[in-house]
This record gives sequence, C-alpha cells and structure tokens, in this order.
Amino acid sequence: MKTVGMPRGLFYYYYYPWYKTFFNDLGARVILSSPTTRITVDQGINMAVDETCFPIKVYFGHVQELCQYDLDYLFVPRIVSVEARSYICPKFMGVPDMIRASFSDLPPLIDITIDISRSPRDFQEELYKTGRLFTKSRRRIKAAYEHGREELKYCQAIAAQGYTMAEAIDIWEGQEEKGSWNSDLCIGVLGHGYSLYDQTISLDIIGRLRKMGCRVLLPEALPGERVEEEASTMPKRIFWTLGRKMVGSAFIMEKKPEIDGIIYVACFACGPDSFIGEIIERKIENKPYMLLVIDEHTGEGGLNTRLEAFCDMLRRKRRQKIEDNLPAYG
Amino acid sequence: MSYYLGVDIGSVSSNFVLIDEKQQLQEKLYLRTEGNPVRAIKNGYKELLEKRREKLDIKGIGATGSGRHLADIILGADVVKNEITAHAVAASWFYPEVRTIIEIGGQDSKIILLQGGVVSDFAMNTVCAAGTGSFLDQQASRLNMSIYDFGPTALKSKQAVRIAGRCGVFAESDMIHKQQMGYPIEDILMGLCEALVRNYLNNVGKGKKIEAPIIFQGGVAANAGLKKAFEKILQTPIMIPPHYDVMGAIGAAILAREYIEDQGVNTAFKGDSFIIEGQFKSSSFECKGCPNLCEVVCIKREQEILAYWGDRCQKWESSLGHKEVG
Ligand code: SF4
Ligand code: SF4
Repeated sequence: MKTVGMPRGLFYYYYYPWYKTFFNDLGARVILSSPTTRITVDQGINMAVDETCFPIKVYFGHVQELCQYDLDYLFVPRIVSVEARSYICPKFMGVPDMIRASFSDLPPLIDITIDISRSPRDFQEELYKTGRLFTKSRRRIKAAYEHGREELKYCQAIAAQGYTMAEAIDIWEGQEEKGSWNSDLCIGVLGHGYSLYDQTISLDIIGRLRKMGCRVLLPEALPGERVEEEASTMPKRIFWTLGRKMVGSAFIMEKKPEIDGIIYVACFACGPDSFIGEIIERKIENKPYMLLVIDEHTGEGGLNTRLEAFCDMLRRKRRQKIEDNLPAYG
Repeated sequence: MSYYLGVDIGSVSSNFVLIDEKQQLQEKLYLRTEGNPVRAIKNGYKELLEKRREKLDIKGIGATGSGRHLADIILGADVVKNEITAHAVAASWFYPEVRTIIEIGGQDSKIILLQGGVVSDFAMNTVCAAGTGSFLDQQASRLNMSIYDFGPTALKSKQAVRIAGRCGVFAESDMIHKQQMGYPIEDILMGLCEALVRNYLNNVGKGKKIEAPIIFQGGVAANAGLKKAFEKILQTPIMIPPHYDVMGAIGAAILAREYIEDQGVNTAFKGDSFIIEGQFKSSSFECKGCPNLCEVVCIKREQEILAYWGDRCQKWESSLGHKEVG
C-alpha cells in the first residue's frame, strides 16, 4: 500500500476530508503529521525563511515531522486560487518551492497547482492527475473525487453546528463529539482557519473563550451565499478568498442580535490580514470589535488579559442595558 | 476597622491599597516588583500591617495586574480581574462621567473608552516601550537628572523641539542629536513628551474617538510635561486623579467590595500567619510529558504545593484537585 504524507497545516483545515477520502479510495494510506506542538513550531521557525508568516513556518515544522517517515509521496499542493476571480495569498504559491529549497531528503512531492481562476475545472483536473499515480482507472479516480467532495460537505455540516474545523475533522474521523459548553455570551470569532483552529498558533483562543463562558460563532457556521452577498456590499471587490470571507462574515455577525461582540484574530506578518482587519474595524460600528494580532512571540498573559477584558466589557454592558430598561419608578 | 484590600502586581511595580466600607482610600503603598512578584506580594502585605499598626480586618481582596494569579495564591483573592476592568472601575468611581482613560505604567500603556460608566472599547500596547515609565526613567538617567525633575524642567520650555518618536530607539538617537546641536534641555524634554504623546495616540489610540472628560493615570501621570503635551495635542484639559499611581489596585478593591456585598459571602483571605510566616517559592520546569514541552510554574509554601500553571493539558493543575485559576 502506498503512503501519502500530509502536513497538518494551512489548507488541511479547509480540505482534509476531501483529500483523505480521495487517497483512501485509491488505495493509499494517508499519514498526517501530529497536532502542532512547540517542537513543530521550533522546527518550523528553523527551517522556514524569516519573511514568511507564522502559519507557513508552522507548516514547515509539520513537513519536518513527516520527513522521518517512510513515505511514497508528500502531498503539498500549490494553492493559487480556489474560486473564480479570487486568490489565496501569494505566500501560499511558493510553499512547495520553499520546501524543496529547505529540505534535503524529501520524499517525492505531489505539488499539483490548484488555480481555479485559470479554469473552473482546475481542481478536478489536477486531482485526476494525482489519481493516476495510484490507478489507471479514470472511473475510480472520478468516484474518489466525488466521494471526497461529499465527505468534505459532511464535515462542513458538522462544523456548522458550532465546532471549529479542527474539531469537525476529528469528529468526522470518528472521535466523540465534545460536550456542550456553558455560556452566557456569544462571540463571533474570525480568522484564517489555519491560525485560528490550530490550538498552538492561536494559543487556543477559542478554548479560552469557551472557558470564559462564551459560545463562539465561526465563519464556517454561516451560509456561504450570505457571506458572499454581504461581502459584495464593499465598494471594491476583495479578491483574496479568505479576506472576503472574513469581511462578509463580520457583516453578518454585526447584524445578528444574539452576537455580543466580534474578535478578529490576525497574523502579525500577514499582508492580507493587515488591511482586512482594519477594513472590518472601520465598518463594524454597532458591535464591540477587537483585533488580536498574534505571532510566535505572543504571550499568554497579555492575550488572556485582552480576552477577559473583552468579556467583562460585554457582560457589564449587558447588565447596564437591562438596568436602563427597568422603569425608573418601580 | 474593616477594609477591602486591592493589589495590582505588575512587572515593574506592585501596588497595595486599603479602602473602607464607604470606598474611601485609607492606605496606599507602592513597591518595586524587581522581578520577584512573590516577594513583592509578601513584603507589601507586611509593610501594610506595619504601617497601620492594627489588626487588619480584611473583608475582601481584589487582585489585578500580570501577577494577579500569584496574588490570589498567596493572599487569597475574592476577585481576580484584568487590568482594563480594574482601571475602568476605579476611574469611573472618581469620575462617573469619564469617557477616556489614558493609562501609562512602567512597562505598558492602555487606552480605555467608556460610555455611561461601562467600557466600550480598549487597546493596550505591551510591545513598544517608548513612552512608558521605564523608558522615561532611562532617558532621565541618561541626562543625569532625577525623574522627579523631568516634568518640572519640561514645563519651563517655551518652544518644544520636534523629536522623532516613532519608536524608543529613534527618539533616543534624535534626542542625542538635538542635544549636540545645543538646544536647551527643557525644550528637548518637552519635545520628547510631545513625541511620546504622538506615538501613544498613533499606536495605542489608533482610530479611537478620544472624547472628554479625559483622565490620565498610571505612574507616568506624575510627569507634568506629558500631561501638558497631551493637553496641547488633544486641545482639551486633562484630569489626573489624586491616586493616579494606584488606580488599578483601587479598582480591584472596589470590585472585591461589590462582589462580597452582592454575594453575601466571606472572604477567601488566607490570613496573616499564612502570608507572613510561610516561605513562598516559585519555580518552573519543562514538562516532558508530551512534545508541547510546557514551561510549568509551580508555587510552593514550605513543602506544600499551592498551584501550578502553564500546563496546556492541565495535568499538573488538576493533580492538585482544587479550584481553577481563571
Ligand atoms: S494570508 Fe496571511 S497568514 Fe495566510 S498564508 Fe498569507 S500571509 Fe500567511
Ligand atoms: S503539561 Fe501537559 S501538555 Fe504540557 S508538556 Fe506536559 S503533558 Fe504535555
């Protein structure tokens, strides 16, 4: 049986069920790197060039881990665009080349280029090409491709119930669902999945908020068409896929009465984040909004203080509202 | 007499206040943390006892600052709150109408906006030290002057020199340059104050609507030059609360009082002998339980382990089987 290594980073958080199903159906075994730890981070920082952003450095750490295994292939797609007229950040494009340049004893890379802006069938064609490494049967490849798509949809439906994509993937893989969390606040949390849902990169912001009594609403729980609709109210179309999704999600969240406040988790060295975070800051006027910028130097203490202060503020505000609405003569 | 104790344990200073049941300040104490918060907490409490020369009837304790959890372990706190909330609570107790709080301490700076006594927005800067107390101390000593003379000297200036204040390093080299060009010291100091205010407004206060009444608190508020620079640039008078240097601790004490009275509970205060007679020690080790390699902190009193933190999986913390550090 052939083995395919997959780093648990970047688009793992958006596509893993599709990829995994696809490879499994073609008779290959997928070896996933372990959840990010401090060792992953340290190794990633060592291997990656300085100018990249934190999530890409961490991705390098995952590649490093996978290099220890005896793999037939390492799956590191070059993702340029996943939808028409939109792009993923330019730093993504160079990832396979940077990996080649930084590691010496790599297994053969599957570094297909996914560029939907080039052609809507690009993803399919590139995966078909990949499939031919494992089987000659076009029918089998097609079936695996379709099956993968279904599985991803299923996993997204799990996430829509209030899980992060990382948790949804775990549940999809058969882990038990986590219990419900007690909450009296509801917070919309935005950020690129590969930072936000990686508990090490984000210092587990979501887990911390839940512990502080917050229900967390994430972009994956919002209907995609509505997100696009809201994002299209911007005078100029945002052509970064993730950025547009964040802006649209923020606008929906602002309108939802049950949401008390919105937090955007941005990466320090991220170009797109630096302006998307600000666009949202300027546009969100009716809800408390906090921009948290994280990188490998972010300390737990400062982060907790900000989260706590944000929750305190929301709770005190709410109490004030209730008091204000009580009749003055009573 | 009965008191509520408020403590604010920061990386540079540790502050202690006692307020009475009418929320009036009865005592305040300011200590340097000197990198040893455990000792600062213990010594602070001891000094408080010595100063008051009475048996303190502590009704409740509130802790804030980056060492708030440590204070909780050693003193037994009823309320453990972040600095933003504590500062806001204290400021709106003295000035119920306050809309903007400028807080600059030894190592960090914050801005807090309020509406109707409730925080509506805030930001803090923990990265850039320009403009914080440590930076001003450093500049004063470079100029061979006491930090206490800094403000009064700056106030003598008639024409502030323009200093680049984008970051501490630039500001310093620009100041040296201006000195060599022979500008009078007071004009350079005032120029530095204005540069730091611009820096603060651009970084911490970025994009925030600063509305009056504005109050200025934290250790740096003692510097009259900075107050004047804020007033000049914002074109509004700025108030400095009488206890500007211990507002966080006052806020913590007020929160403790609110909590004890609302809940009708007894304080978690550990008592004099627990605090004074014991040897507290904090140590840290790297847990090798899994690749996370957490830096775990362990707080001990004599041989007894009081707390662990820093363990991501909480395996150390839960091994003690008591309340969570929140
Ligand atoms: S969008 Fe930002 S965080 Fe994501 S890969 Fe690009 S630079 Fe990094
Ligand atoms: S404390 Fe827990 S998470 Fe951290 S290294 Fe030890 S076992 Fe791992």
